[in-house]
Parts: sequence; C-alpha cells; structure tokens
Amino acid sequence: MRGTIVQLTAAFLGSLGFSLLFRLHRRHLLLASIGGMLTWGVYLLLYHMLPGDFLANLTASAFAVTFAEISAHWRKCPATLFLVPAIIPLVPGSSLYYTMNYAVQNDLASARIYGHKTLVAALAIAAGISFVTVFHELRTRK
Amino acid sequence: MAKVLEKAEQTELMDCLLDMGQMLLECGAEISRVEDTLSRMAKAYGCIRVDVFVITSIISLSLEFPREEALTETRRIYSSGGTDYIRLENLNHISRSCCMEPPSVAELRERLKQTSSEEKPFFMFLLGSILAAGAFSVFFGGSLLDGLAAAIFAIGICFLQNRLGDTQITPAGGNLFLSFVTGLAVGIVCQVIPGLHMDKILIGDIMLMIPGLAMTNAVRNMLGGNTISGLVRLTESLIWAAALAGGFMTAILIIDLLL
Repeated sequence: MRGTIVQLTAAFLGSLGFSLLFRLHRRHLLLASIGGMLTWGVYLLLYHMLPGDFLANLTASAFAVTFAEISAHWRKCPATLFLVPAIIPLVPGSSLYYTMNYAVQNDLASARIYGHKTLVAALAIAAGISFVTVFHELRTRK
Repeated sequence: MAKVLEKAEQTELMDCLLDMGQMLLECGAEISRVEDTLSRMAKAYGCIRVDVFVITSIISLSLEFPREEALTETRRIYSSGGTDYIRLENLNHISRSCCMEPPSVAELRERLKQTSSEEKPFFMFLLGSILAAGAFSVFFGGSLLDGLAAAIFAIGICFLQNRLGDTQITPAGGNLFLSFVTGLAVGIVCQVIPGLHMDKILIGDIMLMIPGLAMTNAVRNMLGGNTISGLVRLTESLIWAAALAGGFMTAILIIDLLL
C-alpha cells in the first residue's frame, strides 16, 4: 500500500515536471499532473487483475487519451497538451535501461526478457492511443 | 464572407501562413494539426483552393484566390522536436479567431510576431527537469536519496543540453555525448558515495532524454494518415534512443573496467 502511494505521488510529480519542461500554461498544470497520476493508477489496478503487461498498458494508455480529449474539450485547447504528461508514466524507461544494461554485460537471457517488456509496453501504448483515436473520429465525424 | 485581398496582401498572407506552420511544427504540434490549421486559415481569407503538404522537415503551400493564378511556396524546417505548449496554445487561439473572423493580414502578422517573441524561460526548463528526473527515479524504485541525486544530475544535464542546443551538433550526436558524460558522472559518484543505486539514478535521468514524446507523436502522425512524417519521426527517435544507449553503455563499461 505504501509503495502504491509513493508511486502515485512520484507519477504526479513526474508528470508535473514534464509539464513544466514543455512549458504548459500554469492553469493546466494541476489537471495535467492529475492525468499522469490517474493513468498510473489505472495501470496499477489492472496490472494486478489482468494477466501480462500488454492489456494493462493498453487500457492505461487508452485512459490517458480519453482523459486528454475530455480535458482538452473542457479547457478548449489541443489534446496534445494533456496527452503527453498523462502518458509519460507509462514510457518504459526502466525496462529500456535494463535491456541495454544486460545486453552490454552479455547476459542475453535477461536482456531478452527486458527487451520484450519494453517492446510490449511500446506496442500497447500505441494500440491504446489508436483505439481511442478511432472511436473519437467515429463519434465526431458525421 | 471575407473581402478579396490585394496582391501584396496575398503574398504577405502566404508568408504569415508559412511562419505559422513553422512555429506550430517547432512547438510540438502534430502534422495533421498543422495542415488543418493552414488550410482552414487560408480558406477564411478567401482562398478558393488550398493545397498544403507538411512533413517534419518541409511545408509546401499553394493558395489560389478567385480570378488569380495560384501562389506556391515551400519552407524548409531545420529544427526538430522542440516543445512549447504555451506557444502551441497561443497559435491555436490565433487560428481559431482567424477562422471565426479573419483580422487584416497586417494584424495577423502583428499577432504572430508577438507570439514568436515570447521566449521559453530557462528556469522553467530547469525546474521541470529537476522535478521529472527526481520523481521518475523514485517512481522506478529508487530511494529518496537516489531521487535527490538524479535531480542534482538533472541540473548538469540541463546546462549541457542548453549548450548543445546552441551548436550544430545533431540530436543523435548530442545524445551520445550527453548520455556518455552523464553515465560517467553518475558512475563515479556512486562509487564514492555508498548507498546510491546507479541504475535508479540513471533511469530517472534517462527519462529526460528518452524520445518518448517523439515516439508518441510518430504513432499519432501515422494514425492520422501522415505515414511519411510518422516514419521520419519514428526513425529519428529510434536513432536517438540507440545513441542514448550507446553513450550510457560505454560509460558503464568503462566504469566496470576501471573498478
């Protein structure tokens, strides 16, 4: 439980950091950071319920896009502004690092496991984004 | 309906639209947004036909006004991959208001000038990097001390990134150098100060350099039907990621050999 709270807080602060880095307007900062935290919350919740990483990543990224579209509609600005901070916690930085690390240490078995994880996460994020984008297009384009 | 523009105003409009497109690309807008914005704005100013083609490195725009020959210009875009959401929002605002009621071309020029003069302040970039690196180090399992270390290294990375940005070095070369220096510095500090986890600190700092945003945008571009731009971005970001990996791994290998 304590670990979860730490992770959610870190996700919030990390998203806030990236929002600042990308110079998001002050009035959107809180909403964008909450988006990152919620996306990670969705991921954690599903990670324990679903088998494998793929579906959890996919659903979380679909959630992030939905969140971004709704927020953008509400604040009347492009959805990109909210999408990037929301999706940042899903970016597989850690597995990418361990893939590289094991690869140069010649531990190819471990490198393969982490490489697989990185690839699955990247694909799942892309798939999640595309599902919601298609639904969104279907709904708005008459 | 918009009044018909004078010849001089038409060329000025062309210039304004190209500036607009360039600024949009340079602050992190998707390709489809740039194309969409330019064609809507041109139509609002009375063009009967607009052909716009945008990829990450070029904008080609043809405008046809009633009873006139079409004007065509291209603009080469050299910088890639900056992000500035306040500017994106301002530009979006300008385009919206133009589509509802187009101001005179001179006024449009004035508003674009105003937007482009606003610079991204360095301290915000610095603050964001510190926060992001520290938070993601803890996020991926580091201790608070690791987070603090990652945040401190982020300051150095920011200054280096800023310095590299002023040179002609390509993003791939810059990333290779940056990750090598960071890897060495973190490795040495971790040997000196016990209790720090080198991997967690590096992961926090990697998040600052990883082209995650570029990849997300690449996928979105491809889904939006702009396959070429998507591929260009994706290839670019894979090369950056490879450079990143190369730099870090060289640093780690050197540290392992020395100690």
